[in-house]
Amino acid sequence: MSDQRHHRHRPEEMHHEKKKSKESKSSRASDQRSSKHHRHEHRHSGLDQSGGYDEMTSRRIQEASCSRDVHQRDRKKESSDEGHGNKHGRSDRRREEEAEKYRHKHRKMERVGDRDKETYRGKDVHVRDMAREDVRPRDKHGRMEGMREQEEEEEEWDRQEMWEFNWEEYRSTLNKIFFRDEDFIVRGTPEYDDFWKFFHRYCKFQMKKSGDQRPARPHHSSPQQKTLGLPDKYDKRYRINFSIKTKDVEEKLKYLRTGSRTNDDEDLTPSRVAEFRLAWLHYIDFCQKQKLQKLAKLRHDQASLPIHQYRDQIVQAVRQHRVVVVAGDTGCGKSTQVPQYLMSAGFTCIACTQPRRIACISLAKRVGYETLNEYGSEVAYQVRFEGSKTDATRILFLTEGLLLRQVTTDPTLSQYSIIVLDEVHERHLNGDFLLGVLRALLRAQEDLKMVLMSATINIKLFAGYFNGAPVIQVPGRLYPIQLEYLPIKQEEQTSKSERLDPRPYLRVMQRIDHKYPGTERGDLLIFLSGMSEITAVVEAGRLYAQQTKRWIVLPLHSTLSIEEQDKVFDIAPEGVRKCIVSTNIAETSITIDGVRFICDSGKVKEMSYDPGAKMQRLQEFWISRASAEQRKGRAGRTGPGVCFRMYDESEYDNFQEYATPEIQRVPLDSTLLQMISMGLRNPRKFPFIEPPAMSSIENSVAFLKEQGALTEEETLTPIGRMLARLPVDVVIGKMLIMGTVFHVIDPVLSIAAALSVQSPFHQSARTNPDAMHARKPLESDHGDPFTLLNAFDEWIQVKAGGRNSSRKWCRRRGLEEQRFYEMVKLKEQFKDLLKDHGLLEGEQDYYYREEERRRRHGERRRLQELKRRHDKGPRKRKVLKLEHEDIELSGGDDDDDDEVDIKDIEFKLKHDLNQLQETSNQTRSFTLRDVLLLKVVLCSGLYPLVAIADDCNTYRRDSEQVFHTKSKQFVVLHPTGVFCSNPEPLQLPHTEGKQGVAQLKGQVSSKHQLLAYTSLLETNKPYLVNTMRIPAVQTLMLYAHCLDTNQDCTRIVSDYWLELTFPESEAAQLLLSSVIQLRVTWAKLLGLRLQESSRRKKDDDDEDDTSRKARKLEKVLARKLTEFLSSDVEYSIRRLGNSEIKNLFVGPLEVGSTANKPVPTLFSGECRPHPTKGGVQINDYLTYNCLQDDGMSVHSFMAHLRNSWTCPTCQVDMAVTLLERLQHQDQCQNKQDVSVDESRQLSGPSSLERLRKPWFCTTCQQEFSFTNTEILKHRRTHAQPAATGEGPTT
Amino acid sequence: MTEARARTKNSDKNRQLEGRKKQGDFICSLCDVSAPYDYLGTTPPYAKSIVLLEKAYVMKDPFAQGKEGHLVLGATCCLCDRCVCLGQDCSLFYTKRFCLPCVLQNIQEFPAEIREEVAKKKPLEKPR
Ligand SMILES: [Zn+2]
Ligand SMILES: [Zn+2]
Repeated sequence: MSDQRHHRHRPEEMHHEKKKSKESKSSRASDQRSSKHHRHEHRHSGLDQSGGYDEMTSRRIQEASCSRDVHQRDRKKESSDEGHGNKHGRSDRRREEEAEKYRHKHRKMERVGDRDKETYRGKDVHVRDMAREDVRPRDKHGRMEGMREQEEEEEEWDRQEMWEFNWEEYRSTLNKIFFRDEDFIVRGTPEYDDFWKFFHRYCKFQMKKSGDQRPARPHHSSPQQKTLGLPDKYDKRYRINFSIKTKDVEEKLKYLRTGSRTNDDEDLTPSRVAEFRLAWLHYIDFCQKQKLQKLAKLRHDQASLPIHQYRDQIVQAVRQHRVVVVAGDTGCGKSTQVPQYLMSAGFTCIACTQPRRIACISLAKRVGYETLNEYGSEVAYQVRFEGSKTDATRILFLTEGLLLRQVTTDPTLSQYSIIVLDEVHERHLNGDFLLGVLRALLRAQEDLKMVLMSATINIKLFAGYFNGAPVIQVPGRLYPIQLEYLPIKQEEQTSKSERLDPRPYLRVMQRIDHKYPGTERGDLLIFLSGMSEITAVVEAGRLYAQQTKRWIVLPLHSTLSIEEQDKVFDIAPEGVRKCIVSTNIAETSITIDGVRFICDSGKVKEMSYDPGAKMQRLQEFWISRASAEQRKGRAGRTGPGVCFRMYDESEYDNFQEYATPEIQRVPLDSTLLQMISMGLRNPRKFPFIEPPAMSSIENSVAFLKEQGALTEEETLTPIGRMLARLPVDVVIGKMLIMGTVFHVIDPVLSIAAALSVQSPFHQSARTNPDAMHARKPLESDHGDPFTLLNAFDEWIQVKAGGRNSSRKWCRRRGLEEQRFYEMVKLKEQFKDLLKDHGLLEGEQDYYYREEERRRRHGERRRLQELKRRHDKGPRKRKVLKLEHEDIELSGGDDDDDDEVDIKDIEFKLKHDLNQLQETSNQTRSFTLRDVLLLKVVLCSGLYPLVAIADDCNTYRRDSEQVFHTKSKQFVVLHPTGVFCSNPEPLQLPHTEGKQGVAQLKGQVSSKHQLLAYTSLLETNKPYLVNTMRIPAVQTLMLYAHCLDTNQDCTRIVSDYWLELTFPESEAAQLLLSSVIQLRVTWAKLLGLRLQESSRRKKDDDDEDDTSRKARKLEKVLARKLTEFLSSDVEYSIRRLGNSEIKNLFVGPLEVGSTANKPVPTLFSGECRPHPTKGGVQINDYLTYNCLQDDGMSVHSFMAHLRNSWTCPTCQVDMAVTLLERLQHQDQCQNKQDVSVDESRQLSGPSSLERLRKPWFCTTCQQEFSFTNTEILKHRRTHAQPAATGEGPTT
Repeated sequence: MTEARARTKNSDKNRQLEGRKKQGDFICSLCDVSAPYDYLGTTPPYAKSIVLLEKAYVMKDPFAQGKEGHLVLGATCCLCDRCVCLGQDCSLFYTKRFCLPCVLQNIQEFPAEIREEVAKKKPLEKPR
C-alpha cells in the first residue's frame, strides 16, 4: 500500500470538505500545519480487510493517549508524577502537537454538529411508540434474515454511488431511526457528534476502496477440510460480535414515509439504511476496541511503575504490622498505587493524607481513573473548600489539617481502617502533629493501621518513631544525571540587599547552546530563592533569548496568576528551549515534563517566625543536601539529564542534611489550641517526632492567653473552644465571633475570607499605570481590609450584572480572579461553621416569583450543558510563541475570551448570584458609623497588632512613612498597601496639624489614629501588611489588656507602651466610666450569644428569653459604642521610651503614698491594691492610680476630693472620690442585670464571685454558693421529678 | 465453559452501594490485562439496544459518565476455552471468538483477508 493512498482519507481532507460550507480561516492555517506534520508520521496498519477502522483505531488511540496525558497535566503539576508516558523524544512531542491541532479542529466540527442538532430538533415528532424488540429469527451468524436478503440485493449496488451519497441531507431521518432518546447513541451527545465524524471518514474510505476496485480475489476454497464452519466468503460484518436491537429498518422507513411530508426520503433506500446501520455497528465496535486499548495502556503503565514489583510485599507487610514505612523517590508511583493496593487487598476505609490541597484533588481523580472509578465516588477527596465523599467511598484523599480536625470530633478516627500519610518527609507542621496524634491513637484504637510514605529521606527517623516499623524501600525511576559544579565567582556574588547578578545563569544558557544541538530537545529549569531574583534572571534571559531566538524564558512562582503559571506546561516550538525560572515550588509541588537541564542556585527563601519581635521573616538560606538532590532529580525524570550547581562541592558537603522542619520555624498557636481541644492537657509534653523549642510553646501559650482563648490554668475558654473548631487563625476566628455578636457578619465574613487567602492584587500590576488607574475606585482610605472588601463586592456586582465578563474585569485591574472564587468558598464555609456552632441563624430561602424561577431553571440547564461539554476537554497545551513571551501582566491578552469560562459556569451553578448581590449591596450602603463598628469588630481579632506613626512622619516622603509596634520599632508600610501611596488619611486634619514643631510631639487632638495590621513581615525591611487606620483612644481603651492610670486619670498607659495624656481630667474620667460600662456589657452580650448558641444547638425552650435579653443588650451596647466611638475627647498620644517603661509604676506598699490611703468601705466589693504596680486594681484590666506622677500636688489633692455624683446606672446620688466612683461603676454595671448574667466565664471571675452568695437548698439539703440565676436553675432541676414546694428564699 | 482465570471475589457491601455488582476480575490469559467485570452474558445491562453474539465479560464503561455505556472486555475462545480480551493482539472475532494462537493453528480455515491481516500482525509484539 502506498503512502499516498494512505493519506487520502486523512481527517484534514474531510475537514476541507466541511469547510466548503463553513469557512474558517484559522482552521485552514492549522490544516496546513497539521498536514505537514502528518508527513512525519510513519504508521501503517492493515486497513483493507477490517473496513479501515484498524488504522483509525490506532490513530485514535494515539490521540486518546495524548489527550489523556494532557488531561493529566494538573495531576502532574502536583506531586504525583508517577507512571506516565515518556514524552521526551522528538516524535512523541510532535505527535502531541499534532494531536492538539487535531483536537482543535474537532471542536470546530462539534460546533457545527450543534447547529444541526438545533435544526433537527423541531422535526422530531413521532416514532417513539414502536415496539423495539427484534423478533425475527437470526441466521447462524446471528444476523437477521431480512438483513441477509438486503445484503444480497446490496451486492448489485454500485458501491461508488453508495458512498458518494449525500448522507447529511438525511440526517434528520437517520436520527429518527438510529439516534432516538432511548437508543445507544443519543442525539446531541458528544458520542453522536463523534459518530458523524467517524461516519464521514468511513464513507471516504469506502469510496476510495470501491474506486480502487481491486481485481476480485481468488475465491477462498482451500483444499483442506473445513472443521470450523466458517463462512466461505469474507465479509467484514462477520467481524462484529454484536448486533443492535433496532426495529426492522424497512418497517421504520415505511412508517417515516407516511409521516413525512417531503419525498426527499425516496433516495434513502433500505439498502442505504442498512449500509448506514453497518457503519453504525463498525463505529460501536471501533469504540469498544479503542476503550479496551485505553484500559490495556493503563494496566501496562501501572505494571511498569517501579513500585509494582513491591505490591505483594507491601500488602503482606501491612497485614502483618500496624505501621509500615514505604520509602520511595519521586516517580516510583507510591502516591497513586499504594492506596489501590490496599483497596484491592480488601481494606475498605482508607484515608490518605497529603500536605497540599491540590494534590488531594488530582490524586483522587487519577486513582479514580486507574481503578476504573472515574465517575464513581469510591475514590474521593476532601479538602478545606470541598469534597466528593459519599457512603460508597473507600479511598479518601484529604489534607493533613483536615484529618487533624476530624480527630477533634471523632477522637478514635473510627471511620478509617487504615491511614496512609503521604510525603511525611516534607515535615509540615500539621504532618508532624498528625504523626504524634496517630502514634497515640494506635494505642487506643487496636484495629487501626498506618502506612507512612516518604521520599528516601531520613527514613530511620520515622521508622524509629514507630518502634522500628518495617521499611519497604522502592527505587525511583531516574535516568542518569551528569553533575557539574559551577560556583559563582566572587565578583558576581551579591549581598543581601543587592540585586542578583544574572550573568552566571546566562552562561549556563550559553553553555547549553554551545554544547547541545538545538535539535535535541530538553528544557532548562533554574531554581532561585525568590521573586526578585527570578525577575533579574528572567529579564536578562529574555534579552539573551531575543538575540539567539533559541529560548523562551518563563518565570514560575506562587504569586503569578494561574494562567501565567500554566504557561510552563506549554510547548516550545521546534529548536527552541523553555527556560523556567522558578522558586522551590518546582522542587516538589509542580512537576514539569521535558526538563533535561537543572540549574540550582542552592538557595531558598523561607519564612521564619521571630517571637521576640512578633514578626515573620523571609530569609535566604542554603538549601539542604536532601533538597539539592531533589532538585537534581528533576532533570532525570524523562531521560538522562544534566544538573549545574551554582556552588562549590565543598559547600554542598557543608549543607544541612535535611531542611529545618516547619515546626521549628512557625508560631504554634493554632496547633496548641487544637491540641488542648483534643484533650491533651499539657502541650509541653506532646511527643513530637522532633519537638519544637520550649520557648516557642511558651510564646504560643502566652499569646493564646492574651487572646482570651486559654484560661490561666491553660484550659479552653468558650471563645477558645469556638476558635479551636474554626479552621482559621485565632485572629480571624475572633473577628468572626465578634461579627456574629454585632450582626455585621457579612462584611466581616468577606474580610476574614479575603485575609485568609492570597491577595487578589497582582504585584506586577503596580508597574502598569492602566491597571493601577482602574483599581483606584476599589481603594478605600480606611485601609487594605476595606479595599479587599470593595474589590470583592465589586466583583460580585460584575458577576451579577452579567454584562461584562468578570474575567476581563479582573484582568484589566491586575486581579487574580481565582482568589475571589476562593473567597466565596471560604466565606460560605465560615458561614456554615458559624451556623453549625449556633452562632449564626439559618437564613431564609430566597423567594422567587414563578417566571423568575423558570428563568433560573433554564439558565441552570444551559450552564450545566456548557459545563458538561467543557469537562470533556482538558486545558490544551499551547505551543508557545517566541515573540509573545514578555506579556507578564495581562493587559491586552484577550485572545481566550471566547473560550468557555468554566470557573464562571461552576460558580453560577453553585451560588445564587441574586443573594450574593443583595448582601454586597448592603455592604455598599455603609455609613461612617458602620465602618467604625466594622473596624471595632476587626480589631477584636487584630489587637494587639497595632502600630503608631513616628513623630517625624510629616517630614518624610509618602512612601517612607515609619511606624512602631510594641515589639519592633521602625517598620514601614508594605508597598502593596493603600496607605503606602496615599498616607494622607493617616495624618491629623490640617487645621490641627499646622502647629509648631515643638508642639508636634504632644499634639492634642481628638482624632489620633493608629494602624492595625495583620502581620509584620521582614524581607529586606520590616513591613506592616494589610493595614487599617483606627481611632487611637477608643481602640486602646476597648482592647488593651492593661490600662493603668494616674491619680486623676489624666494619664493612662495602655499595655505598657502607649501613653495617653488628657488635658481635662473630667473628660478622661467620663471616658473611663464609659469604657468600664462598655466592656462589661460587651462581655455579657458575648456570654449570652455563646450561651444562646449552645442552646440553639440543643433546641432548648429557653431560647426566646435569652435571645430577647441578648437583643436588648445588643441595642444598648450598639448605642453606647457609637457614642464612645464618636467621642471627641482631646488627648495626646506617644510611645513610651524604654527607660520610662522601667519606672512606670509607683510599686506596692510605698509608705505614705496616696495610693494606700484606707480603701473606702462604701462598697461591698473587694478593692485590692495591685501587688506589683501599686495603686488599686479596679478589675482585670484597669489599675487606678498606679502610675508615677511627676510631682503633682494638685492631683493628689484631687484624688481625695469627694464630688457629688449620680450613678447613671442605678440613679443613686452620692458624694464620692474618683476611686470610689470607678469602683461603684464597675460593680453597679454588673449588678444591673444579674438575671442575665450567667456568663461567668466571660465577665471575669472577680465580678462574678461578688454576685455569689451562700444558699441552702432544702430539697437536696446542701449548701451552695450561687448567683440568683444559678439558684433558679438549681430549683428547676428539682421541680420536675417531685413537685415539691418552694424552698426557703434567700 | 471454564472460567479459567476469571476468579470471583467475595462480594463487599461497600461495592454494592455503588450500585454495581462486581462479579470478579476478568484477566486476559494472553496479555494479562485485567478489570473487574460485572456481567457475563449476551445482553449487557448498560446497553439495552445491543445483543452480543457471544457470551462475553462486560463492565460498565469506566470511561463514560452516566448510567449507559458498556465495555466488552473479552470472551472465551470457541476452540480452546481460553479467556481472552478483545484486543487485536489477543483475539479476533469472525462469526465466533478465536484466540490468536488458535487462529494461527487453524489459519488455513480463515479467508485470505484474515490471513493477510494476521500475517501483518505477527511481527508486532504485544506491548509488554
Ligand atoms: Zn489480551
Ligand atoms: Zn483458542
